[in-house]
Amino acid sequence: MKIVIGQGSCGIAAGAAKVYKALEGINTGAFELGSTGCIGMCFLEPIADIYDGDVLVKRLVHVDEKDAERIAKAVCENDLDSISDLFITDDDASFLSQQTRIALRHCGIIDPTKLEDYTAIDGYRALKKALCEMTPEEVIDEIKTSGLAGRGGAGFPTWFKWNAARQSVGDRKFMICNADEGDPGAFMDRAVIESDPHTLIEGMLIGAYAIGASEAIVYVRAEYPLAIINLKRAIEQARENNLLGENILGTGFSCEMRIKAGAGAFVCGEETALIESLEGKRGMPRLKPPFPAQKGYNQYPSNINNVETFANVAWIILNGGEKFAQMGTPDSKGTKVFALTGKIKKGGLVEIPMGMTLREVIFDIGGGIRDDAEFKAVQMGGPSGGCIPADKLDTIIDYKALGATGAIMGSGGMVVMDQTTCMVDVARFFLDFTAKESCGKCVHCRLGTKRMLEILERIVAGEGKEGDIELLEELCEGIKDGALCGLGQTAPNPVLTTIRYFRNEYEAHIKEKKCPAKACASLLRYSIDADKCIGCTACAKKCPVAAISGSVKQTHSIDAQKCIRCGQCASVCRFGAVTVC
Amino acid sequence: MSVNITINGIAVTGNDGDTILKIASENGIEIPTLCHHESVKLYGACGLCVVEAQGVGKLLRACSTVATDGMVINTESERVIKARKIALELLMSDHEGDCKGPCTLECPAGTDCQGYVKQIALGNDREAVRIIKDKLPLPASIGRVCPHPCETACRRGLVEQPISIAYLKAFAADNDMKSDDPFRPEMDEKTGKTVAIIGGGPAGLSAAYYLAVKGHSITVYDAMPKMGGMLRYGIPEYRLPKKVLDAEIAQIAELGVDMRNNVKIGRDISFDEIRSSHDAVLIAIGAWNSMATRCKGEELDGVYGGIDFLREVSLGERHEIGENVAIVGGGNTAMDACRTAVRLGAKNVYVIYRRTQAEMPAEEIEIKEAKEEGVVFKFLTNPAEIIGENGKVKAVKLQIMELGEPDASGRRSPVPVEDEFETIEVDAVIAAIGQRVNPTGFESVELNQRGIIKADAASFKTNIEGVFAAGDAVNNGAGIAIAAIAEANKAALAIDGYLHGIDISYRPEYVSRRVVSEKDFADREKIARQEMPHRSAEDRRRDFAEINLGFTDEQARNEAKRCLECGCHDYAQCSLIRHANRYPIAPDRLSGAKHTCEVEQKLVCIERNQGKCILCGLCVRTCEEVAKKGILGLVGRGFPTVVKPEFNNPETIRGCADCLKCVEVCPTGSLKIIKK
Repeated sequence: MKIVIGQGSCGIAAGAAKVYKALEGINTGAFELGSTGCIGMCFLEPIADIYDGDVLVKRLVHVDEKDAERIAKAVCENDLDSISDLFITDDDASFLSQQTRIALRHCGIIDPTKLEDYTAIDGYRALKKALCEMTPEEVIDEIKTSGLAGRGGAGFPTWFKWNAARQSVGDRKFMICNADEGDPGAFMDRAVIESDPHTLIEGMLIGAYAIGASEAIVYVRAEYPLAIINLKRAIEQARENNLLGENILGTGFSCEMRIKAGAGAFVCGEETALIESLEGKRGMPRLKPPFPAQKGYNQYPSNINNVETFANVAWIILNGGEKFAQMGTPDSKGTKVFALTGKIKKGGLVEIPMGMTLREVIFDIGGGIRDDAEFKAVQMGGPSGGCIPADKLDTIIDYKALGATGAIMGSGGMVVMDQTTCMVDVARFFLDFTAKESCGKCVHCRLGTKRMLEILERIVAGEGKEGDIELLEELCEGIKDGALCGLGQTAPNPVLTTIRYFRNEYEAHIKEKKCPAKACASLLRYSIDADKCIGCTACAKKCPVAAISGSVKQTHSIDAQKCIRCGQCASVCRFGAVTVC
Repeated sequence: MSVNITINGIAVTGNDGDTILKIASENGIEIPTLCHHESVKLYGACGLCVVEAQGVGKLLRACSTVATDGMVINTESERVIKARKIALELLMSDHEGDCKGPCTLECPAGTDCQGYVKQIALGNDREAVRIIKDKLPLPASIGRVCPHPCETACRRGLVEQPISIAYLKAFAADNDMKSDDPFRPEMDEKTGKTVAIIGGGPAGLSAAYYLAVKGHSITVYDAMPKMGGMLRYGIPEYRLPKKVLDAEIAQIAELGVDMRNNVKIGRDISFDEIRSSHDAVLIAIGAWNSMATRCKGEELDGVYGGIDFLREVSLGERHEIGENVAIVGGGNTAMDACRTAVRLGAKNVYVIYRRTQAEMPAEEIEIKEAKEEGVVFKFLTNPAEIIGENGKVKAVKLQIMELGEPDASGRRSPVPVEDEFETIEVDAVIAAIGQRVNPTGFESVELNQRGIIKADAASFKTNIEGVFAAGDAVNNGAGIAIAAIAEANKAALAIDGYLHGIDISYRPEYVSRRVVSEKDFADREKIARQEMPHRSAEDRRRDFAEINLGFTDEQARNEAKRCLECGCHDYAQCSLIRHANRYPIAPDRLSGAKHTCEVEQKLVCIERNQGKCILCGLCVRTCEEVAKKGILGLVGRGFPTVVKPEFNNPETIRGCADCLKCVEVCPTGSLKIIKK
């Protein structure tokens, strides 16, 4: 029997490393102990899988280091029923069973530190096939057949970029991986690199072969230390096994690979800014054209794809583009990974075939809204995306269909919101992000996002003015048209979609100075219901600014002038006497 | 290989590989840009050069888009203009600086006060006059009489006292006139067009000057015996000696302006005749009727209108006014009248004013000097009745007033105190309470409800084709001379346009302004304003000779050197403000956080002002790519980004070779060369 602990970043954060250590401490050789990456069920971490040979016998969830002993005992004595309280429920297990995993196919299954784990399940067979049996053009054709599109956000056909880079003349060519995953709420790329680094390497090598590149660079954000460690180790392993470097697998194809750790600027996820950063310059976007395929890294033809895109490549080569293209919709082929977060019952990584509806993802896979609250909106595509309201829940996951809502597919961030979320504040949050992450180069982004943020800050502070919505809309259109790169051009999306679907919330803030979601502190008014207050003094004691007065057994009252609207009185009152409006 | 494209409907040709911007520029089509420069690599930051190409969804940056055969480009489409306007409004919303000094902005005619004061400081009086005459052709006269809004606005007032701008102007003009080679404007080629100007006052003379310079043939018709209008017949000799005015008028006549006096429209010639015999007409007849007091006894002998009285004295028709004289009113005309009365030998001169001194519209210096000359101010009084004897004024009964609530103008309005009166014995009552336009002879010209000639505020067109109107006779009625001149200048431009078949409407220029306070100038050394030397009260009240003796050379230079030079040194070359005025923009609606002017860092011999920087990156790129130094860099991200020594390391500045290439390419006044 073998116990395998999921030790991705989120697993470790939930305590997986402690569980592993505890099991290691008591293991006298009676069972085998192993590690794997992230299975994507964040809501169940830490997770321990019990294998009998290659067969997964039981999945234990929410395990604690204190459970280590009885888990070990149960495994050794083959008495798993004694730990039945840790078994995953059928309902929770359905989170995974409803998915179709291609990019994440090995995540949470293999040990990312072991090349043999990877090769044991077809690892590097696709590379071998491409190098030995296919011409670069045939590889590109296969990708074309698959319909694979860039999973980083824009959804540009991968084969087209590869072909452009292939056609481009240059002494040297570069295959670059954009692993600067920066959207708030998106973490699928991290999971792939941490949990299945060889899949990325293999995908990149196949791409490098297709475009004629002899050098590959992974630009990964420095905030992903475990990903960098795992990838570095994997690169070493590949090199040692002649899967990387000179004359790979004796085919005559050579390609080097290195990692560049990014310093954490969101804009460096924009491909031309990423190239500038790679070159050692300030991360600012370049004018296009020339496109990277013509003049990229150090002016050499370069191709840039994101992690998830590469993670699909080996599967496509091995299984055929046709099979990939069978999944999805006429416009969007294959699967897409989403990072399901926010007010959702089951948060984690979800890979599903294109064409599934948002409702299916959120309610069937994700289990619906936490505390069975009412769904309000789902934010997709991060700072470049938008908010999709309840009446659009049956929208299918497809580049065109999502685009029509004003949101975008994006890199796959899916933040679920309930009625307690203020949509104006959501727009403010994303604008605050883009304004801070603007590189400062172009006028529309540097000043436009700043001015939009100032207006939104004004609105949530109760200082909105008549005409602010129209001014925001005008700025949005101007910025979309004038900004230099994707960051700026898409920065208005969160504002535009919230205005489009939740204009009444903006109007309530501006005209009535009210926040319908009761989330904007400046607009809240706390008061005490005399019928419910018993004069227990709890609120008065808790109030940090002594805004509540009243003696014991007397109805208390709040001085609105002094009140800082922190809400502590409401949370401390056991009688529901503090009302907020 | 060449590429053929269409820009704004015009077929043009460029070389293969040329950008849209290059081809447009080679064909005389300006596409605005702030961050592009031929000497450095493409950048694309400002977003001003966007253009629309047929069949392309996105706007294209002309600076970087290579033209392809058959492209159809629109450089001024609605969408393009919208995007540019937003860019300019955003830029201006974070642009902290003064394009022009408050002196210039407050001058109705927009005279470049800072510019000519600087030239006076340098001793270049002729150059100063050249700058002044760009906006004002009568500097010696106006310099003496102008109530100088420029000085009211002057920021030196936040240090101690404003610069004596008006007197400096008169000083330079006097010197220039006395010189062997007085300034004479360059004249355009003759156009063969004729313009009739009706009225030879400050507005008419000014329009005559500018239209003559433009090459048109000008005839000025005036009803009075001599030119000058109110400057001659409304302003007393002791403030403006007529020989000064004569000399300035002569300078205008020398430009070939035909001046015809004693011609009154409707009496000597009909308006229609003037209109039909000229290509264009400017009506600048002023406001020559005195307003009535509307109190009992007004018809008595010995009751005069203020400007009528001043005119009679100017014409030499009146040499005395009586021993006891009451002047009603609190404006500059009242001051001119009371001080003229003193000079005519009146023993007791009273100024009747219904409010207090604080509310008086007259200039403070006028009030002060009138008091020195013995004028008695009866504040908070109003004539209730002029009492006569044998049809002649004997006394004036004054209603005692007190101040009530502020009125629409913000001044507290006077209200009568019930049953309180005072009577003073007088021989004459002069009512200096306002002027009215007399449109007799201009019956075909449309008037407004107040009986004033109606002209479009931007184009100065009247209801009659080819007839324009400006000055005191128009729209808002009588004002100060420089305001009439300002209108005349704008009207002259409109007329010039009209004569060339172009419709010109005046649009106020957009400028960037700083809001400052005394604190901003706390570090300045205090240097007192030069006082104008003048005759003593005892001396001057006996005759009409000029009161002011004029600045000495040293005084004038020292006074001029006090200027704080508020306006931007780079205004004339600034690409930002030029483009900002290309479209009507309203950056105030986007106001928010700004980079301030306060932090100024000194490079080796360059002063950098972050408040004016638009982050086009040209200095940074030029330093790196052209000067090959790379000592400048962008520091920070997003809105707080600033240009600083590379990596924010002040040590790198040591590498600066003073090549000044960065200053040359800066599109704004952010970089300034300072003396080492």
